[in-house]
Amino acid sequence: MTLRDLRYKLDKKEIGAVELTQEYLQKIKERDGVIKSYITVCQDGAIAQAKAAQTVIDAGNSKPLTGIPLSVKDNICTEGVRTTCASRMLEDFVPPYNATAIEKLNAENYVMLGKTNMDEFAMGGSSQTSYFGGPKNPYSIDRVTGGSSGGAAAAVAAGFCAAALGSDTGGSVRQPSAFCGVTGLKPTYGAVSRWGLIAFASSLDQIGVVANNAFDTGYILNTIHGYDENDATSSAAAKGGYTKLVGSDISKLRIGVPKEFLDGSSDEVKAAVLKAADFYKSLGCEIIECSLPSLEYAVSAYYLISSAEAASNLSRFDGIKYGSRSGLGEDFNELIKNSRREGFGDEVKRRIMLGNYALCSGYYDAYYNNARRIRTQIRKEYAAIFEKCDVILTPTAPTTAYKIGCQENDPVKMYLADICTVTVNIAGLPAISTTCGYDLDGMPIGMSLTGKAFDERTIIAVCDRFEKDFERKECMR
Amino acid sequence: MNYQPVMGLEIHCELLTSSKVFCTCRNEFGGGANTRVCPRCSGMPGTLPLLNKGAVRLAAKAGFATNCTVNNYSAFDRKNYFYPDLPKAYQITQFDSPICTDGYIDVTGGRRIRINRIHIEEDAGKLVHDDYEGVSMADYNRCGVPLIEIVTEPDFRSIEEVQDFVVQIGSRLKYAGVCDARMEQGSLRVDVNISLMPYGSNEFGTRAEIKNLNSVKSIGRAIAYEIQRQSEILDKGGKVLQETRRYNENHDDTKAMRSKEEAHDYRYFPEPDIPPVLFTDEEIDAIRREMPEMPHRRFERYTESYGLPDEDAKLILAQKEFSDFYDEAVKIMPEYKLISNLMLGEISRLINETGRDITELNISPADVAEVAKMAADGAVSKGSAKEIITILFNEGGKPEEIARSKGFIMSNDTSGLDAVIDEVLATNADAVEKYKAGNDKLFGFIMGQAIKACGKGANPGLIKKTLSQKLK
Repeated sequence: MTLRDLRYKLDKKEIGAVELTQEYLQKIKERDGVIKSYITVCQDGAIAQAKAAQTVIDAGNSKPLTGIPLSVKDNICTEGVRTTCASRMLEDFVPPYNATAIEKLNAENYVMLGKTNMDEFAMGGSSQTSYFGGPKNPYSIDRVTGGSSGGAAAAVAAGFCAAALGSDTGGSVRQPSAFCGVTGLKPTYGAVSRWGLIAFASSLDQIGVVANNAFDTGYILNTIHGYDENDATSSAAAKGGYTKLVGSDISKLRIGVPKEFLDGSSDEVKAAVLKAADFYKSLGCEIIECSLPSLEYAVSAYYLISSAEAASNLSRFDGIKYGSRSGLGEDFNELIKNSRREGFGDEVKRRIMLGNYALCSGYYDAYYNNARRIRTQIRKEYAAIFEKCDVILTPTAPTTAYKIGCQENDPVKMYLADICTVTVNIAGLPAISTTCGYDLDGMPIGMSLTGKAFDERTIIAVCDRFEKDFERKECMR
Repeated sequence: MNYQPVMGLEIHCELLTSSKVFCTCRNEFGGGANTRVCPRCSGMPGTLPLLNKGAVRLAAKAGFATNCTVNNYSAFDRKNYFYPDLPKAYQITQFDSPICTDGYIDVTGGRRIRINRIHIEEDAGKLVHDDYEGVSMADYNRCGVPLIEIVTEPDFRSIEEVQDFVVQIGSRLKYAGVCDARMEQGSLRVDVNISLMPYGSNEFGTRAEIKNLNSVKSIGRAIAYEIQRQSEILDKGGKVLQETRRYNENHDDTKAMRSKEEAHDYRYFPEPDIPPVLFTDEEIDAIRREMPEMPHRRFERYTESYGLPDEDAKLILAQKEFSDFYDEAVKIMPEYKLISNLMLGEISRLINETGRDITELNISPADVAEVAKMAADGAVSKGSAKEIITILFNEGGKPEEIARSKGFIMSNDTSGLDAVIDEVLATNADAVEKYKAGNDKLFGFIMGQAIKACGKGANPGLIKKTLSQKLK
């Protein structure tokens, strides 16, 4: 069932908005104690919003998302609802304003069920760095959800919301969507306003959507996209109509498969992605082998740029104006040190140190500037591929979801696992991940379709076409 | 031993925009603490800066006012450091690509001071220390106030050059509407980098940077102190430390704030939240065309074309509105000297007495032009002209009507004059006798008596002429 079907049911009064919201809240209450996909559940607020939505529906004024219960990642500011970034630092932060994306959802009278779990400040690929304890994969609770939007992906997979807003800086929507067997869309940089998204790496961050299927990601993007004067990096090139091509003929499309992405992936992942390529070939699509030679530098460049920006963005959490304040400290320097020591987790501290190191005057050229050069090079290589291809097919992650506790303690190994997703952020392109198979343990395998800038509609249509012929396995829901 | 001082300046100027540089809070001075703060300028998590295009235009104008190149491309960077008055813990500034580069100003004595760059940045808040309670409080009103920083080359060789440069910068920026240049309020703040070297040397010494200079006088005194301090160190064979020093007005000395070793590594990098500022040549020309005439150009016009003395020209130029008033008046009636005298005499006196502003007077430039015309034509005396100005100032009205109703219009009729003057001479026979005996000073006295007798409408020129003939 798509959100459009749900819309139909709500409008035909087959189900009431309050009843629908209560169903989700009940499921969360019963089963999220194990999954831990939410940090904050908005029991009363959600019911109040649902009632307001029902009034709008009854008046015949419903909009696409009126009465639709969604979850919101806990790094997106929601007025009056605490927004923690899964950090002790912001444990008590209640924003006095809404993110632009939230304002747009509110304008349609959506329902916010709660704020979802994540890696602390969105730094990580497992969601296990959450100060509130990491979420668990609904396909197997001893496995990670992926991250950083792990709570969002788990909530969608477990049926704890109709769809979810996440954020994607280096794969944080797509990789957990792959691990939890759902669909995740990272829009073009600038397609969705970042106003109200608590910054991790400003030049890479983008609000995205986790949903049950490709159509739904476009359905929500239709509401939240667009230029916003509050975000100078948002773009008027984001024009909407993201579900328009769904169901259209895709047989004339050229699909590029860059070999470097497959080389580093597990055999099961590789096989599933190649099988998906065969599926498209069987439809008449042209499969083109292509290359992104700079992929080997991508993870390094990504971690230098993102950590440098993060080090600066997170400086405001010093216990003076923002962030929890330590009780210790004779002067402000001590106070700042102690507040940051107590407020941040290890992974965040690691990135801050890495970022500051890369920006130091003696190392700036060797690290930060070289990373920028690689960024330029990767953009060029994507442009070259898109001269002969319409979309690019890759794995979303080199492996499936791993067991909790087996990889998080090896940062370099964790960072390298981002290889399939980071280039898309570096180049600012849109990409969507969907399930294309299952490994021997029954864990979902994700594939990604990357498009040209602001051409979300094509990748959504191509992804939808695959989903139409692919049967997903149910998880614990 | 005497040394050659070498100085360079960093001047911060608050821009006269109505709102702050990255948000819509009002950009004003004073008011209660934290009354002009919003999520954006206080760096609330999730907020983003919104560049004030007005601030960019004013920065470009500052460039034109100082002979800089205004660049087609400029970009913002982040300067990272922790301080409680800086809620984001970074300042948005322009590091690699400033908006203006390569300017200059010629200073007194004729030397040219090169300007390296002018860049845009945001101001930080202020800390208020309460020693009684033992607490420090942060006032974020000033956070995000738009600034430009003007950075010169180390081209200054004397205190006079530095002071003249600062005065010129203030005046030019005021003229361009860029900054109100009130040093005492901190809207124009000067840091001086100063080092010494033996005369004849080309190798600069180690510099110290002096901060907290809030008047042109302080600048002079701080530099003089610093020259003395560094000379003494060098005379003893010591080494001047590279450090930042604070000038203390009460003690008239400078004290070390932090050394080079303690200096921050600001970890500059490109600000990812603000796209670069791009100007086409046409846009730059359009801003240039909005530039008013700069005060140094007006000075040339006043002294060379209008023949005003240098001092008078400077007095008129001291305030742009005053100078604009003068320009409007002389445009209507090109009596340069007469109008200058009326404005620097009567009008200035009245302004000083009442504390009113030139822009809020009952008198218009056209009124002053008319009064000047009447005086020049001999319709009223110069003394009457001043009186008309005073009446206009206090009561308003039309110059010609005032002249008529008060009987200031001078008669050029000589009939009757002879008789009145004869009577005056007869009444003051004593004085006349002494004058004729050689006491020249008494002419003024007799003249005064004659004017009194003839009344206000009399033409002093005619009286003088008649009197001179009769006293021969």
